[in-house]
Amino acid sequence: MLLLGIDVGSTTCKYVLTDKEGNIIHKAYERHNTKQAEKVLEFLQRLEGNFGLKPGRDRVYITGSGGGFIGELIGARFVQEVVAVATAVEKLHPDVRFVSEIGGEDMKTIFIKEQEGKKNRQVYMQNVCAGGTGTFIEKAGRKLGIAPEVLSQMGYEGYTLHRISAKCGIFAEADVNSLVKAGVATEEIIASLFEAVVYQNLSQLTKGNTPLPKVLLLGGPNLFFKGLQEAWRVHLQRLWQERGIGNFSREEMERLVLVPENSVYYAALGCVFTALEEDGGVYAGYEKLLWWVNEGQYESKLREGKCGLVSSLEELEEFKRKYSYVVENKIVPKKVDEVVIGCDFGSTTAKAVCITPEKEIVFSCYTLSKGNPIEDAKQIFRQIREYLGNGRVLALGLTGYGKDLLKDVLGADVAVVETVAHATAGLHFFPDADCICDVGGVDVKVMIIRQGSVVDFRLNSQCSSGNGAFLQGVAERFNIPLSEIADKAFSAKAMPNFTMGCGVFLQSDIVNQQRKGWKAEEILAGLCYVLPLNVWVYAGNINNLSQVGRKFILQGGTHRNLAVVKSQLDFIKSKVPDAEVYVHPYSGEAGAIGAALVALEHYKRHQRTNFRGFEAVEKLTYRSITSKDTVCSWCPVNCQRSFIDVYIGEGEGRPWSKVPLEAGWVRLIVNNACPKGLVEDERELKAVKEKMERVKHEFPNIADFVKKEAFRTRVQKVH
Amino acid sequence: MGIPRFLNVWGTHQFWVGFFNALGVGKVVFSSETSEEQYRTYGKGRITMDSCFPVKALAGHIGELLYKDINLLFLPMIYSLPSFLKGHVMDTLSCTRVFMSVENIKAGFLREGNVFEERGIKMVSPFVPFAEAELLPKYLWTSLKEVIPGLTLEETGRAVKEGFKALESFEKRMREKSLEVVRWCAKNNRPAILVLARPYHMDPGIGHEIDGEFQVYGYPVLWYNYLPLDDWLLDWLFGKEIREGIIKSPFDISDVWTSSYSSNTNEIIWGAKFATRLPWITGVIRLSSYECGMDQPTFTPVQKIVEGSGTLFFKFGELDETKPAGSVKIRVETIVYYLEKYSEDIIEKKLRRLPPLPEKLFL
Repeated sequence: MLLLGIDVGSTTCKYVLTDKEGNIIHKAYERHNTKQAEKVLEFLQRLEGNFGLKPGRDRVYITGSGGGFIGELIGARFVQEVVAVATAVEKLHPDVRFVSEIGGEDMKTIFIKEQEGKKNRQVYMQNVCAGGTGTFIEKAGRKLGIAPEVLSQMGYEGYTLHRISAKCGIFAEADVNSLVKAGVATEEIIASLFEAVVYQNLSQLTKGNTPLPKVLLLGGPNLFFKGLQEAWRVHLQRLWQERGIGNFSREEMERLVLVPENSVYYAALGCVFTALEEDGGVYAGYEKLLWWVNEGQYESKLREGKCGLVSSLEELEEFKRKYSYVVENKIVPKKVDEVVIGCDFGSTTAKAVCITPEKEIVFSCYTLSKGNPIEDAKQIFRQIREYLGNGRVLALGLTGYGKDLLKDVLGADVAVVETVAHATAGLHFFPDADCICDVGGVDVKVMIIRQGSVVDFRLNSQCSSGNGAFLQGVAERFNIPLSEIADKAFSAKAMPNFTMGCGVFLQSDIVNQQRKGWKAEEILAGLCYVLPLNVWVYAGNINNLSQVGRKFILQGGTHRNLAVVKSQLDFIKSKVPDAEVYVHPYSGEAGAIGAALVALEHYKRHQRTNFRGFEAVEKLTYRSITSKDTVCSWCPVNCQRSFIDVYIGEGEGRPWSKVPLEAGWVRLIVNNACPKGLVEDERELKAVKEKMERVKHEFPNIADFVKKEAFRTRVQKVH
Repeated sequence: MGIPRFLNVWGTHQFWVGFFNALGVGKVVFSSETSEEQYRTYGKGRITMDSCFPVKALAGHIGELLYKDINLLFLPMIYSLPSFLKGHVMDTLSCTRVFMSVENIKAGFLREGNVFEERGIKMVSPFVPFAEAELLPKYLWTSLKEVIPGLTLEETGRAVKEGFKALESFEKRMREKSLEVVRWCAKNNRPAILVLARPYHMDPGIGHEIDGEFQVYGYPVLWYNYLPLDDWLLDWLFGKEIREGIIKSPFDISDVWTSSYSSNTNEIIWGAKFATRLPWITGVIRLSSYECGMDQPTFTPVQKIVEGSGTLFFKFGELDETKPAGSVKIRVETIVYYLEKYSEDIIEKKLRRLPPLPEKLFL
């Protein structure tokens, strides 16, 4: 008789096959790419073929988030995953008192206490938030362009740590972005990520218990990331010292904090050990599972889901005839003598366009934002210079996250606030629009236009549920390239129902739908379908779309995805039946185009530019400082800011600063979580305030007189 | 005498100063301007029912005054307000929540023992109907005589007169300041912005000094409640409509707002009408606190009135306890862009609709 333990997780499946004494014969750990049932089927077929797994004789125990329903199909007995892990730990390591298991999308801690010879377990688990889980580390690694095998060897100790929000995976990602922008070394960012993960596990999943030695670290991330192990050891060493548990040397810590070789198999092993203690779970063969993979899943899905994004091929073709320009439109470089440059320094990419004084768009380029704004700018301007040759730059406009930081450094004529840049770009093509909906990679902007002005807007960069990065992230996990998301989504004949809301919850909802057997393309269709709801209602907080108007412009990179456009179209029409919906012809470049158009206005009025010239931008020298002297002290959060000092010749310098800056230089402060952090400290604030008060004095405010005189407690003599 | 700097005390402040000065009250102390710190330190745990933040903030003001050197705490329940629109509108009532705020917030200081007694402070909260000035002496005397021994009704009557005198003199000075701003705009052909709000949005802790942000960009700021009311100016702006019989007087708002009971609302509506006519007001900034029931029905009419003339209109609609610094910054930058872009045209367009510029503008 053989015993089989299967663990069906959110990203991987694992199995352990043992003889009847529990000695391992074979084991495997493989990614399932959302096809949990298919992967288990593959396992079973392999095991029957190569290792003689036999229905009716051998026994199967199963665990994990997807274990329940698959178990029923193959006659396996289900074991709750925490119970499975704890069972394995108690059997293999009787002296372990604390376990941390980190999975792809969840994390657990187990406190094992011994009282009067009886062991009792206290288990904590969270699986609704990405913060502190493995997916987040991997995602950040991918974003930073680090190969998995390199990431796994990166360290923790000895690096300067930066603040990364540990409480939410999505905020954490934003923090990583700003660290990258600040030019913080990749090694430091990764070390900070490990710090955040350990911090999150300790702060969320200990609930007042103190982890005691010995400690066992389980799950993929704990096994694969050397730096994460280091972070655990450093934290626990400090914790044990503080709480009087003991002063342990580094060598002792190695011994007290274990990472077993079979770290990823503990849940599967727990299944086998459970099987050893009881009867049942007789393997029924894979026929039912095979039927379910081939047929059953579709039947049950059809009962629950709705039909696809398009109901017929004709509908799709007609839609594509009208809107395929959204994808096909490209800005074709055209040689001209004079251009106005617009740049959009966003959180993930920097983009630029050139327009002629007649507003023709003649060039575009972009670069993935990869270190610091100065380097991104150099990269962008090199591309423009190559295109422009001897041509003349009439004006330069900036927008996006980096606009204020770079204005003086590059000699831009205007730093255009995002709302204005995007609205100007939209209104340029569709002058009488009522509403512009810009969905970018990481943020959602809804701008309401009256009298040619943005009179109201909603910006949301705090929540990922409506944005493109979320959709892209999901597609990436399914190994579907960005350019294929739309066609995949259109190919779905049916799609699951997703509820509007937080991206983190959507993520677990996706896992749920996968478990029901929904496939990647169907899930993508469902996500495209729910996106408008997230954009308008959840992120935009606009419940009555008809009040906004009837002429809508869709723009921003996410609207280059036709499946999203189709969903938006259907959604808007359902709320505003006579709506006209347009998609911006250069959806992804809208911000840069807007900046260029505003710069052109400026040029027309002033006939000159402050642009430093390509040579000067290329030669910009800077230094980046991140130290305890750059920490923000305006509030208790104490953001670890970075100062990027740039030599521009006429800079005022900051001789009074903690990090003094000589004349000729300017300082860009990055990595601050709020606008307050852009001001270095009290001394700068004082200078800024004085300057502001002087200006305010020139342009009076009646409220200031009222505030000064209304509460005088002696009656004023009337002259 | 301690008086909280709250709600409709903004707008009646100098009345109380004149009144208590005349009564010979040794010293009047106002609480500080609203701040998060004040609210957290003194108001925490005193809120018994949910309300807009301006009402809740009263708890912080009362709490702060309890630790000042005062014998009396004066919490007027202002039922109706003095208003320059009186006689041209149905009534000049205060918002009921604002009027009842004293009772509402006081409860939080009496729930677990009488905090006022513990601190040796006597509290007076008279009913104050400013619209019926003739009744004021009686109402004020009835409650004040309990705490000011020997106070007579006649004395109170004289003090009320002094109060009004002080308030009128103050408002006159403020309106003169506004006229100076208008003259500066006219002379330099420069735009200004007008704030439409409630009087207490001048309080930095309530209005979050959003109006001040525009000064930094070179825009003087006028407030709806202290606009210049000089005859020649109003005749320039409204004369034609009066002669055509559309309105009865410059202060008539019945052409756009018929249920003119609420004093603040009436003045906001009148301010909107003023803004549509005065050429140099190119942008109107509407401030409103989160959950303000009185403001809700006015949003669309005010917007329509202002925009009808081509004047730009922007709303900061959900002001609450904390200043949303980041979003205010983006909003102000956005607004300033359009003010810069369109102001010149707006001034020109509005001037074309009016009779020739009055000479008195350029004195």
